[in-house]
Amino acid sequence: MSITEQIRTRLQEAFDPRELEVVDDSESHRGHAGYREGGESHFNVRIRAAAFKGQNRLARHRAVHAALGDIVPRIHALALDIDA
Amino acid sequence: MTDAKTRIDETVKAHDVVLYMKGTKEMPQCGFSSRVAGVLNYMGVDFADVNVLADEEIRQGIKDYSDWPTIPQLYVKGEFVGGCDIITEMTLSGELDTLFSENGVTFDKDAAEKIREANA
Repeated sequence: MSITEQIRTRLQEAFDPRELEVVDDSESHRGHAGYREGGESHFNVRIRAAAFKGQNRLARHRAVHAALGDIVPRIHALALDIDA
Repeated sequence: MTDAKTRIDETVKAHDVVLYMKGTKEMPQCGFSSRVAGVLNYMGVDFADVNVLADEEIRQGIKDYSDWPTIPQLYVKGEFVGGCDIITEMTLSGELDTLFSENGVTFDKDAAEKIREANA
């Protein structure tokens, strides 16, 4: 399973989102630090889930980091757009 | 406390605003660090920058300190505020202005408004 699919699966299971978009944005970082051939180094995630209701920004990000677990240290960058 | 934690603790308490980043504020070495340093520079905020690429112990130590896996990391009055996404959102919503005002951090309000107008 690609990292993109792993991210999608874990977030789907953790938050049951009504909107979830996982984009491998690695190509736009070609030549920059952390880029690796074949991509799967830089990701943009947009997620909308009721589970985030009442949580501040830090808590939302921490919840996503926790759900992704060991994926986070394996990738170079993770841009998160989170809302309830 | 480990040595890295002690050093970080001292740094974030010695300066009102500290940015742990890749590279320096004059020469950022990562797009995400560059974006946050750029906002602070543009807003005329007096901040201390710590280049994690120059210190492996701090590079890992800062992640443990805040329990946050990515860099950059912004601290105001010793408190962790967030990384690139959060600082960007707070800049555009005006929450960063409020945070600075509440903590007595001087910044250029007109510059902050210009950033918001340009991203409206």
